[in-house]
Amino acid sequence: MTDLTSVAKADLKPAILSIFSICCSLIAGGIILLVIGKNPVVYFGLLLARGLGSSLGVTESIIKMAPLLIISAGLLPCFSAGLWNIGAEGQFLVGAMLAGWAAPLLAARLPCPLYLAAVALLGIAGGMAWILLPAMLKARYDINEIITTLMMSWVAISLVTWLVKGPINDLSTVPAQTTLIPLKYRMPMIPCTRIHIGLIIGLAGLIGMHWLIRRTTVGYQFRVMAANKNAARHAGMNIARLTVYSLLISGGLAGLAGVSDVLAIKGLFQGNWNPQYAMAAIPLVFLARLNGWAVIPLAFFFSVLGVGGEFVARELGVPVFFVHVLEGLTLLFFAVSEYFEKKWEHQ
Amino acid sequence: MTAQSLVKLTGITKRFRGVVANSNVDFDLYPGEIHSILGENGAGKTTLMKILSGVHQPDAGTIRVHDQPVRIRSPRDSLKLGIGMVYQHFTLVPNLSVIENLTLGFEDGFFLNLKKARIKLRRISEAYGLFIDPDREIRSLSIRDRQRTEILKVLFRDSDVLVLDEPTSMLSAAEAESLFQTLRALRQAGKAVVLITHNLNEALAASDRVTIMRSGEKAAELSNEALAGLDKKAASEKILTYMFGSIPVSGAGVAAEDVSGDQPVVELKRVEARDSRGRLGLKHISFGIGKGEILGIAAIDGEERRLLAETIAGQQRIASGQLIYRQQDITRKTVAERFNLGISYITDDRINEGCVLDMDLAENTILKSYGQPPFSRWGILNRLKINSFAAGLIKNFEIRAAGPDARVRSLSGGNIQKFILARGLSDSPGLIVCNSPTYGLDAKTVAFIRELLINQSRRGTAVLLLTSDIDELFSVSSHIGILFNGEIVGLMRRTQATTEKIAKLMLGICES
Amino acid sequence: MNSLIESALLTTVIATTIRGTTPILLAALGDTYVERSGILNLGIEGMMVGGAFASFVVALKLNNLVCGFLAAGAVGLALGFLFAVLTITLRVNQIVVGLGLTIFAHSMSSFLHRVIFGNQFPILFDAGGTNAIPLLSGIPLVGQAVFNQHWLVYVAFLLVPAFYILMYKTRFGLRIRAVGESPWAADSSGVDVNRIRYVAILMGGLMASLAGAFLALGDLAFFVPDMIMGRGYIAIVVVMMGKWNPAKVCLGALLFGFAMALTSALQVAGINLSPDFILMMPYLVVIIALILFVRSTDLPSSLCIPYNRGED
Repeated sequence: MTDLTSVAKADLKPAILSIFSICCSLIAGGIILLVIGKNPVVYFGLLLARGLGSSLGVTESIIKMAPLLIISAGLLPCFSAGLWNIGAEGQFLVGAMLAGWAAPLLAARLPCPLYLAAVALLGIAGGMAWILLPAMLKARYDINEIITTLMMSWVAISLVTWLVKGPINDLSTVPAQTTLIPLKYRMPMIPCTRIHIGLIIGLAGLIGMHWLIRRTTVGYQFRVMAANKNAARHAGMNIARLTVYSLLISGGLAGLAGVSDVLAIKGLFQGNWNPQYAMAAIPLVFLARLNGWAVIPLAFFFSVLGVGGEFVARELGVPVFFVHVLEGLTLLFFAVSEYFEKKWEHQ
Repeated sequence: MTAQSLVKLTGITKRFRGVVANSNVDFDLYPGEIHSILGENGAGKTTLMKILSGVHQPDAGTIRVHDQPVRIRSPRDSLKLGIGMVYQHFTLVPNLSVIENLTLGFEDGFFLNLKKARIKLRRISEAYGLFIDPDREIRSLSIRDRQRTEILKVLFRDSDVLVLDEPTSMLSAAEAESLFQTLRALRQAGKAVVLITHNLNEALAASDRVTIMRSGEKAAELSNEALAGLDKKAASEKILTYMFGSIPVSGAGVAAEDVSGDQPVVELKRVEARDSRGRLGLKHISFGIGKGEILGIAAIDGEERRLLAETIAGQQRIASGQLIYRQQDITRKTVAERFNLGISYITDDRINEGCVLDMDLAENTILKSYGQPPFSRWGILNRLKINSFAAGLIKNFEIRAAGPDARVRSLSGGNIQKFILARGLSDSPGLIVCNSPTYGLDAKTVAFIRELLINQSRRGTAVLLLTSDIDELFSVSSHIGILFNGEIVGLMRRTQATTEKIAKLMLGICES
Repeated sequence: MNSLIESALLTTVIATTIRGTTPILLAALGDTYVERSGILNLGIEGMMVGGAFASFVVALKLNNLVCGFLAAGAVGLALGFLFAVLTITLRVNQIVVGLGLTIFAHSMSSFLHRVIFGNQFPILFDAGGTNAIPLLSGIPLVGQAVFNQHWLVYVAFLLVPAFYILMYKTRFGLRIRAVGESPWAADSSGVDVNRIRYVAILMGGLMASLAGAFLALGDLAFFVPDMIMGRGYIAIVVVMMGKWNPAKVCLGALLFGFAMALTSALQVAGINLSPDFILMMPYLVVIIALILFVRSTDLPSSLCIPYNRGED
């Protein structure tokens, strides 16, 4: 009996703190709305109504969740190892670009499942390739991976735009973009719904990563590395190799998220497009305390915010950026809640 | 002495995470004396002085300076009171120059005015014969010069009290002598000098008074007069008794029979290794341990013990020489490989290295064995087996914890050590290397752990026990070795050893 | 005819380089002190954005450039203070706080811009003026490039020797250098480690926001969400490369200023490379610079670790 309640308490406290952070950010957001002359109650009410209130809204929210889930899945292993892949944006774009380029070429030539697998693998490889340099620099020279992944991200933004305007441009269309993938070659839907299987991939990825981190020897080594590098060294763990593994997984999944977005939602890749999922995923993963299961409801929540936010933007004149403001606030309040958690620990 | 005391510590008590570092200690200091605090590692000497210099706050007791009660809340408070500490791990900023370090914290005005500082430095240098180039960067200085700078720093603050923590541990004999000359000059000038040391010879040669600490308590205080009457040998013996206690009870410990005429389980052949500064920390170490033998190696220097342990366990590379385990040359094998072969290493750094505080006991259990069945198969952890194994450890080793899912952080220091030992002993290793396994623990736990080690050896495991505790050495080992200055200076059967012999070898006193 | 074009090209390159260097230089000078004191400020990008936005809005609404710069300074100090409280007093993870601050400041700026200006992107017509220095701007070739710039450019470069003196010849600089390398040594010498770090962060925030203000008021004359484009992080790398020596940091900033100026330079030269391609260059240069010039052993030992007396 004691065991159960103490375990529940152990998991409950961080959950409460995360929910607390979200509430604080919503309240702070509400105050900001008041300051600019909008009614927060109306805003949030409309937002929830749109995002959750109709089946259309819910479906859209779920669809939008997919890339967020996949990127978050990628952030889990490396954050659990104490490594910060802040350049997931760039890896996402590389994967997306490769999908946009390869899909039209392969679609007709391969049977459907093979075609999908090939494009997916290409995206994963692209994401991994993009994070390989930062990973090696960190493993070999201990060069800060935050900066290297960020820089690679900016290179990617320019690189893919240049490629789309150049070599992989579909010249039959005016705006710079890759060939539009015909509907039948898009990512298949879950039967009886409008939701594409990217969602399944996302959920599988999250649960898979969660399982990897909690239940495998590799995940265990990641966690020891993050918690106590001295103990990891003492135990003879190969930190350099673990560093590279965790970052590669992260990059690969980010690339896969890019593939999912192109194949499922957009159907093509265009320049100067950056949906900034990473900016949402990072606070999300922190709030979820690196727990794969917790990411799901949180991703849904952020998705609802996004979908509802777009709608409310038109209705009430509150820009969509507001959702990102909430994301930033959540991360800050999360940081504050860490302080309280540490204080409670030492008592 | 009729003069007023400079510093008077009364009833000082300090606890850290279940370990009592100082217990009701009294200490006083008069101007114009050199007062040594003698004791082995972990006796509480440094903690006491850190309390005086403001780094730690005592849990109980009072401090009086110039006969006024004071609260020393920070190093700055202590400096203001005229107390200056010269640490073992130097507190000089490596990338700054000597003169910059000297002025740090007490600079004159917004713009650095080093001219005044240089004049002051010259004055002090001439007064005490301590000369140094003021513009050299600390990181380019030798150990001796760094120490000199540290002393100058304290004198710069016009301190009346100088506390030196193990000052000669990294000096040559000649350098040590010149240091003592300096100290005498300081004494002459009316300063009070506290010398923290584990070196008996030095304490005797240099000081006017010697306070002996043992296991956090003050064991004795001997003044010049008291020592004057005795000859050197008698004085040493008297002090040794206070430092280490008498020879332990009963012939406990493994009888040093020739258990086997077989090959030793582990053998070191002229092994050399480099320490963290790149110098040779271990020099042509050679010894072997047979099945069922417990070799206790006494070494007063913690870094040396650690280096030897890590060289065998694999975290430290062997620079030259050979390490043979069960007739196999494992000199180049990794930590994990050595672990899998049956070498179990129990570190002295329990909290920083031996476990992950924020994980639960079950997960800590597999810190090294995570890759082995039954804990994992094909890379997948078997939670049930891990939990039940941890529960078994808790039960069999009497570890006081709520259960396998209790965070290690919630355990007391003694129980953490028990746990680490339990983890290291399970699985019948071929060789156990343990470093200071009972340091800082209560008597009951100490006895329990020693019993465990002896029992393990009876099952055929070879044990290498690294310690500075002579009690432990005698109550557990079948063979005894002494490590001093990186070399093995003595290797004998337990029956051939006496406390006095060992203590002297540990402290570097050569038998005449 | 050719030489005329060449000299025009040279002048343009130098002028654009100097203009491009300035925001990085300003941010890096401030960050020099922050990093030297042992703190990794990933919120620097957010502070730049905040400064850019605040200065733009205030300058536009009040029709006063000076007020704009003051507003930027205020925002920089405020964000810096927030960062300091969280990381020094509450000892929260610097990386989380830095990222959170950047995301918040970035999105808040875009958000408020939309709220205030709707879909428009107003331009501040007073902005971007230059002040020519009387005699010096007459020097052939370089005169116009170097001595006919915005006043903040002159300030930025003049700050280099000032910050150098501050770092190496004052009490404050000495303490910062001590705190970053061995906070325990500084503490035992009686230096208030936390107070020094607070001051350093406030300085960093102020300088970063001024850098942003320069971009908004002195260079672009408008505000767009992605205008900072990673310059904050480039500043961090520049500081590491320059080993916290303001003089070397200046050189590093010039290197990146040059890389960023390449776009227009190449266009003027008639080299037909896509601007996107050229835009990649600064970031690639950063990575190469990191590999060549920065070893982790060079970083202040206490970087990113909150200071806790009694814990060694």
